[in-house]
Amino acid sequence: MSLFYSTLKYLAVTLWSIFVIAPFLWALTTSFKDFQSVTNGATYIPWVDFEPTLDGWRSLFKSPAQGGVAIVEPFFNSVIVTAAGSGISIILGTLAAYSLSRFTFRVGPIRNGDITFFFISQRIMPPVVLSIPFFIMLGKLGLLDTLFGLILVYVVLLMPIAVWIMVDFFNKVPIEIDETALIDGCNPYQAFFKVVLPNSVPGIIVAGMFCMIFGWTDFFFAFILTFTEVQLLPVAIVALNSSITPWWSLSAAALVSVAPLVVVAFIVERYLSKGNLSGALK
Amino acid sequence: MNFKHKYMFLLPGLLVLLAILIFPIGFTVRLSLSSWDSFYPGLDFIGLENYIRLFTDDSRFWEAFGRLSLLSLTTVFFQYIIGFSLALLVWKEIRFQRLFRVLFLIPMMTTPVIMTVVWRTFFNESLGPVNDFFNLFGMQPLWLSSEILSKFTVVLVEVWQWTPFMFLLLLAGLLSLPKEPYLAASIDGAGPVRTFVYVTFPLMAPISIGAIIIRLIEASKIMDTVYVLTSGGPGTSTETSSFYIFIKGLREFQFGYSAALSITYLVVMIISFTVIAKILVKMMVRGE
Amino acid sequence: MTLIASNLSIKYERNFHLNDVSFSMSKGEIYTIIGRTLAGKTTLLKTIAGLISPDSGGLAFDGHDFGSIPVWKREIAMVYQQFINYPHLTVYQNVAFPLKQRGIQKIEIHRRVMAALSQVGLGGFGDRKIQALSGGQQQRVALARSLVKEAKIVLLDEPLVNLDYKLREQLREEFRGIFDTKASEDSILIYSSTDPVEAMQLGAQILVMDEGRILQQASAKEIYENPISAKVSQITNDPAMNLFDGRIEDGCIVLSPEIKFNLPSHFNGLPQGDFTFGLRAAAISLDDNGFPFSVELSEISGSETFLHVRHEGLKIVGLLNLVQNFPVGGKVSISFDTKHLYAFARDGRLKSSPYGGLQ
Repeated sequence: MSLFYSTLKYLAVTLWSIFVIAPFLWALTTSFKDFQSVTNGATYIPWVDFEPTLDGWRSLFKSPAQGGVAIVEPFFNSVIVTAAGSGISIILGTLAAYSLSRFTFRVGPIRNGDITFFFISQRIMPPVVLSIPFFIMLGKLGLLDTLFGLILVYVVLLMPIAVWIMVDFFNKVPIEIDETALIDGCNPYQAFFKVVLPNSVPGIIVAGMFCMIFGWTDFFFAFILTFTEVQLLPVAIVALNSSITPWWSLSAAALVSVAPLVVVAFIVERYLSKGNLSGALK
Repeated sequence: MNFKHKYMFLLPGLLVLLAILIFPIGFTVRLSLSSWDSFYPGLDFIGLENYIRLFTDDSRFWEAFGRLSLLSLTTVFFQYIIGFSLALLVWKEIRFQRLFRVLFLIPMMTTPVIMTVVWRTFFNESLGPVNDFFNLFGMQPLWLSSEILSKFTVVLVEVWQWTPFMFLLLLAGLLSLPKEPYLAASIDGAGPVRTFVYVTFPLMAPISIGAIIIRLIEASKIMDTVYVLTSGGPGTSTETSSFYIFIKGLREFQFGYSAALSITYLVVMIISFTVIAKILVKMMVRGE
Repeated sequence: MTLIASNLSIKYERNFHLNDVSFSMSKGEIYTIIGRTLAGKTTLLKTIAGLISPDSGGLAFDGHDFGSIPVWKREIAMVYQQFINYPHLTVYQNVAFPLKQRGIQKIEIHRRVMAALSQVGLGGFGDRKIQALSGGQQQRVALARSLVKEAKIVLLDEPLVNLDYKLREQLREEFRGIFDTKASEDSILIYSSTDPVEAMQLGAQILVMDEGRILQQASAKEIYENPISAKVSQITNDPAMNLFDGRIEDGCIVLSPEIKFNLPSHFNGLPQGDFTFGLRAAAISLDDNGFPFSVELSEISGSETFLHVRHEGLKIVGLLNLVQNFPVGGKVSISFDTKHLYAFARDGRLKSSPYGGLQ
């Protein structure tokens, strides 16, 4: 590799890295600012351009009444809803994916491929389309503004992801292993749980990662379907997005919301290097 | 294999999905045939009036479609090029490989809305660092309030947010490629460019197509960014289909009409994606 | 204890097809199914296993209808051509799996697993992970797992085909040893293969399959001596039997204007007319008083030579018991050992064989 290519390579990578980090850096410094530092024009380096304070960070624990953001409860609400929604989606989705990979279905003209398509096509729907009906439906069931109601909706959002990833994964496990399990005396349920499932852990982890990413980062459904009792993190943060936004609280909150998934990023990279992801081909 | 047990595997998931979906979809269809809005609440029946209206009288809807196509195709295009380049860069040996890979993944792990809020401060025309920089040249571009630039800003934010997704899928694909063609290429004396054009790119074709389709599907739903960054503005220059439906439904409360918009949107999208998928697959097969 | 199949049929559905398959098998025997790829061997084995249900026809085991018994309740074992083991279990756990599934006592499991492992030559391998084993070793594990169950029907689907040549020969020898004991016990062994040599070596009884049908079921000797049709002779001989069209006229066999010879005695009952004659490659030899042929190709194989010759439209392959390189285009003089000549009707059916089979 010539020196030219090498330099180019590192340059490109560095440039993009700067682009990636930029908003985070900005948020980080901003979170330590106060009213003065923000409104007198852009400032960057603490102690040089402005006096840092912990106001932004402290406000995370105060309630709005005290002028704060109070993200502790929304944070945990997000955790619960994301975990439960992902969990249920993975369980139901993996079972469904297994059946679509192994067995043949034929109901009239509808075959396996169509059923899989049905699952995956749920992703085409913009949240907007479903929001009003969900609003009315949850209202009638008394589930508006509840964790449970939101979890139900998240299942619709996330199960297609689980199905998409797991069908692809199961298709790569030789069916002869299932057959051998059957011959060895397992009924289909046992064959699945004792033999196929233990060999599918990487796939499930990947599916889990994606579910958690899409679940944690949802804004719209939480926005429409919850108000006061239950607030999720993204909603709480966006609520601050008015013209008298306290930038410092905003930035601090944003950084907190990003933190958990950084861990996920590390896990995904691990599995990437181990060669366990291979995109879905439809 | 064909056993009765197969239903027990499929049905829990399928039924749950159907149960939760069937009401919303059915209701939306029914709603689209009514004129429910804040003035005339209630489920009456006006037949296909809403549909006729949106086909004949609502250019804003179709403009939104146009913008949506423009925005999503543009962002996905850039995401693909940049994502692929990044994937190629960190595919082979490079210092700090692990660090770069994790770093490049991070944007997609963030909540789009939240990051957009941060971007909003970033691009703030008077107080943000971007214009601070441009001020040095005596310029103060209107990132969020100019018709053209606002589109650019939206694309930029989307590219920042979602290139990692492409990057991930493409890198996974690259890592799963067989070694033999590369050995053959190096024996034949092919340089990096030729190897890419004749070996890497063709081998990655199916994965590229899959990744593009998946990203297009996700990109078409873009709403969060627009909502926070520009609220569809200025005017309607960044208004996408989803946003328009949102406004009609949850801002102007024209439920019936927005339901009709939704259904039309869905049908158009499903047809478009099926067509796009088929075309891309044909292109790939022919390329072989 | 018998396994009887009656008119099993499976219609076209991707590659699957069985066409009116019937056979009868009894315990203590090894049955080899020979056929080319896609002949339906795997389909048949999977149907016996219960993984595929026939569209029509039935399977009866010991008088009971097999069709009503699901796969996991049938007492069968199967070894695939791909090395199929449970990847997440060790060698010991792999072999123990079916026994655990049946709820057998730990002590008994241990005894049986160790016995099976030593039978296949993997005595000390219990703790190894499957991925660490070579192909041959993995297949032995699969074999051990099939033995440990003491199943009534043992199915082997070309188990050696993915192993390299040397290993295949070695395992074939070992198989005989292992399965001779098996065969004398209470089970039916069904082994499928595309290799006629392998099939003849192993099988007491042979079933010849082609295009989903069973063409012939007989002992290895019978199939060798009296293949029921030209097609069977093609499938069951390696190198393939030479087949050439000719006539019987006036007490002579006429292959071409220049090539005529007297009827061998076992053809005496045949009428005049068109026939397809068959002759094994080994029955071709060089003879100065023979017919002129020109050489198309010669291949030395071990201590023998395959000689491909041709006379106008007639192409013959001979297996000569010498090592010699014949230049392409050269002329040789070939004679036919007519005592070993077969006569098939033009529709393929056997009309006369050197071993007394007369249609």
